Amino acid sequence: MNPKTKKLLIGILIAGLLVAAVAGVYAYAGQRAFISTLFSGLTLGSLFFMVAAGLTLIFGLMDVLNFAHGSMFMLGAYIGWQFYTNPTFIFGMAPFLLAFGAGVMVTPIIKPYLIALNISEKLQKALPKIAYVLALAALVFAFVGFDILSVANTAMVAATTTTVGNPLAELSAQEPLSTFWLRPFLMFVSGLLIAVASSRPGDKTQFAPREPIGKKLLMPAALLVLTALSTLVRESASESVLLMNGNLRFALSILLSVAFGFVFGAVIEITLIRPLYVRPTFILLMTLGLSYVIRELVQYLWDPLTYQMSRPPLFAQPGKASSIAEWLQKGSSTIDIYGATVPTYRLFIIALGIAMFILVIFVMTKTRLGMIIRAGVQDPQMVEAMGINVKAVFTVVFAMGVALAALGGIGAAPFLPVQPLMGDTYQTQGLITVVIGGMGSYIGAFVGAMILGMARAFGDYFALKLSLSPAIAEASTVIIMVIVLLTRPQGLFGKKE
Amino acid sequence: MAEKPVTQKAVKKPMKVKEVGFLVFIALMALLPFVLNLITGTGLNEGVTKFWQGQLIAFFIMAVFAMSYDLLIGFGGILSFGHAASFGGGAYAFGLLMKHWAPNFVKENPIMLGNTDLTMLVVLLVVLLVVLLVSVAVGLLFAVTSMRLKGTYFAMITLALSTALFIIIKSTDLHEWTGADEGLHGISLPVWLNPTQNRLTVYFITLAFLCVSYLLLRRFVNSPTGRVIVANRENEDRMRMIGYNPVTYRTIAFVVASIFAGLAGMFFSIWNMSATPTMISAVTTVNALIMTIMGGMGTLIGPIFGAAISQIIQQFFYTWFGARWPLIFGVLFILIVMFLPYGIVGTWRLQKGNLREGWKRLLRLFTTKSEAEAPESGQKPPSM
Amino acid sequence: MSEQIPGNDLLVVDRIETFIGQFHILENVSVCVPKGSITVMLGRNGAGKTTTLKSIIGLTPPREGKIIFDGMEIQGKQAFNIANLGIGYVPENRAIFRALSVQENLKLAERKKGDFERKSDFIFELFPDLKRLYKLPGNHLSGGQQQMLAVARALVPENKLLLIDEPSEGLAPILIQQMMEAIRKLSETTTILLVEQNFIMASQLAERYTIIDDGKTVQEGLMKDLIEDTDLIHHYLGASIKTRKELEMEHESEN
Repeated sequence: MNPKTKKLLIGILIAGLLVAAVAGVYAYAGQRAFISTLFSGLTLGSLFFMVAAGLTLIFGLMDVLNFAHGSMFMLGAYIGWQFYTNPTFIFGMAPFLLAFGAGVMVTPIIKPYLIALNISEKLQKALPKIAYVLALAALVFAFVGFDILSVANTAMVAATTTTVGNPLAELSAQEPLSTFWLRPFLMFVSGLLIAVASSRPGDKTQFAPREPIGKKLLMPAALLVLTALSTLVRESASESVLLMNGNLRFALSILLSVAFGFVFGAVIEITLIRPLYVRPTFILLMTLGLSYVIRELVQYLWDPLTYQMSRPPLFAQPGKASSIAEWLQKGSSTIDIYGATVPTYRLFIIALGIAMFILVIFVMTKTRLGMIIRAGVQDPQMVEAMGINVKAVFTVVFAMGVALAALGGIGAAPFLPVQPLMGDTYQTQGLITVVIGGMGSYIGAFVGAMILGMARAFGDYFALKLSLSPAIAEASTVIIMVIVLLTRPQGLFGKKE
Repeated sequence: MAEKPVTQKAVKKPMKVKEVGFLVFIALMALLPFVLNLITGTGLNEGVTKFWQGQLIAFFIMAVFAMSYDLLIGFGGILSFGHAASFGGGAYAFGLLMKHWAPNFVKENPIMLGNTDLTMLVVLLVVLLVVLLVSVAVGLLFAVTSMRLKGTYFAMITLALSTALFIIIKSTDLHEWTGADEGLHGISLPVWLNPTQNRLTVYFITLAFLCVSYLLLRRFVNSPTGRVIVANRENEDRMRMIGYNPVTYRTIAFVVASIFAGLAGMFFSIWNMSATPTMISAVTTVNALIMTIMGGMGTLIGPIFGAAISQIIQQFFYTWFGARWPLIFGVLFILIVMFLPYGIVGTWRLQKGNLREGWKRLLRLFTTKSEAEAPESGQKPPSM
Repeated sequence: MSEQIPGNDLLVVDRIETFIGQFHILENVSVCVPKGSITVMLGRNGAGKTTTLKSIIGLTPPREGKIIFDGMEIQGKQAFNIANLGIGYVPENRAIFRALSVQENLKLAERKKGDFERKSDFIFELFPDLKRLYKLPGNHLSGGQQQMLAVARALVPENKLLLIDEPSEGLAPILIQQMMEAIRKLSETTTILLVEQNFIMASQLAERYTIIDDGKTVQEGLMKDLIEDTDLIHHYLGASIKTRKELEMEHESEN
């Protein structure tokens, strides 16, 4: 039999089995239970995909299995939740990070001049080290006496009192501007020093033509303006954010989470991952350590507690809508779909998952970046030899992966309990998803996520109905993965090496 | 995997240093309880002395577990996230038998030899045998899996397999047997093996376990089989071409590693008098991984060092840094991965020459007056 | 390098040494490529020709020695920076991107927006097949078509120098002819450094040659001198390589 007919036959067989299974379950469970289980399966599938999308993107190009992905998912949820519930922390930290960023962004401006310097080899080696140490010192000094915990904790007080009156009533006064401005300034200096160090002054093997600096000036200047702005409004801004429309605030927190994830991912890749590409196993260990640190940092800032993020008004009003139009109008918390009551926020998660899928497909097939990524998966050296900075592409891809994780995190935050371990289960399921779908395949990730979501949802349903052990539903995903790996080791959509 | 961890060199002289170090270690450890007893004045089985015995028991056991893990990752170049399955498997095999089978058996079938009651001894031997069998079975399971899958995929499926075991062990259906979430508690042990009543005995048994394991593993990695396993790590295809079947040797590595991990698990369940689902979860594997990395992959002393450090960190970091000590620990781990990729022992071995040079220079700095003597005193290797 | 005319060399590789891992691949390689010419690198398999090209483009940076391109030292710089100076690289084994279509392969090679549109007529004139296969994914192309795509890809941006590694490898004779024509046409506008095992093809195309053996440059000079020197050819390039004279003789005896 030729392989094509064989493939076709297997496809028909699987499709037939699938239809039979669906029909059987439908007949057994009845319409209402079937639909509500279907929707919880889709919701779970979407959540799995949100984690798996970034994982598979990063793995496909860089062969990096990011074990910190779950933590980044969680971090995205925390950042968004903070902005939504009480932005004091975000606005308190903004001047620091923005000033630091402005300093670092000076790199492309000064690099050509620093490289051209004629200095001795000894100085060439010593100068970056000195600059790094000084930068670290400036960074430490910027935070001396600054009570991060109180900034983070006012948010916690407010988180429990948002519903009553003025949420910020208990906010303690912050440091006066006359002394505070020194902190962002020090951060800026620290960033500048890092810019100097990372330019490796005097190293002639680098390439940085002296182009007009007009364009390069834009980024640091914008960041400096933002720094100044955020320094001035750091106290009043939180209140005005909280007075905003809830839905708008939620949209903004999603944007913020994504932006944060992107920047965070880029920083992590450049500082921690890049030096380890020559030792692939150690990248995995690095991400393990990183996930540990992120989790502990979050616990340090917000204590190892479980929070509940309230849903945005669009999904919060009690009552059941009979149609999508009614839901959008009233903002009901549940909706009637063919007799089944489905929480509206689930629809949002499903929509978000599908939107992410479309976005990823669009980027991969229609943009130049996607082209570079697909080419780089096969042969990064050749891509480099064509004049494309593959290192920078790696950074962007890692940053994108983390941004996707953060997007998943904030999307899931109103649905899941917000706690330091919230990403871990999803990371495991995400990894399984990626393996089932085929490492590096985003279509595979989507299909795999949906299969897993359905398996979990229907597994749970049957476990409950037939009073089986819930362990079966829990183990079902693992079982599927084992079956897939033993029959098709490269995954459903993976390509054979 | 792609990176070559430092391998042991079979040079004569360092071996001697190692022998001496090993003996000194045994002597120190054997004397420690008594020394502590003298210093503190409390009894051998109470207070500070007892506490430190406990700490060291945990260290001995985890050191063996870490060594067995290093056999896979460091020597064999096999990244497995399921090694805890062997550890937990040994622990649960021991716990289940001692709790549900042994008490009845002891009551019903006393075995006497003259006047001495040998029942307990026979029971323990049978249990030991079962633990070994379980470990071998787990090792074979992973070996079979590794025949089809490589690298990251293999790592993933080991993670999945251990997750599956974890789910089974803590499923409520088996509550009667395994105690589900809470774990298996109240394992009945004979008085002489009970760590609360007779800690010193357990201390010496586990110390012996560590020493014997170290010697056996060292013998193993230096044997022809062990060398083939290391060579497989470097280039499997080449080994296949010159006639060694990598699958056979990988299987051997898995089984040997699994046996030592299973025994470590058994001792751990003796020490805790319980077996918990955590022992089978990925967290335990990651712990072994961390110990191995800190100490140095591809060495046997490395994991022992790593286990000691991790024990110390767990003990002191809480008092130094408060409840969020893992934050410091995590940062430390990242720094090690970044700057000491060969771990402490591996870096030490790589830098030994440099260190000796530096030591000489340092000595010369302080002994500028009698420069003639300086090189001589510099010959002395730094104490380890 | 007695024949070197200063100021006229686009690329000068001066005594480079390259390591791959712990292996000392290039021990002493010097090549100079005069502007506007085709220079061919000859040598046995494993002599270090491919590594020389990779060292020039920066994929395996040399540890010692200098590489001067267009008056600028480029050794030690990153590969993408070197490529962006105007060096196109056509690797051996038709390393096109199989997951990308022909169009995407060509688009990817752009350094400035619109590069491809500017050059498309020229490219399709050289390789008319590619126009027909425009939308097909790379892994559907035949070996010869892949090789053409690999060369075409290097033509998309404005390159001053092309490094072409074994363009005739594994091609059918008729395709070799087509490839030769294409390279000859290219040489009218671009300088080319060619690595070629097919001595007939090399001798017809190139004006200069460099022989590399065991990671060292052993001989360089004008092609027309080499063709006459049967001993030299046999010594360094192996007995299996036949000069045109020998081939002609064989041809006659067969008839």
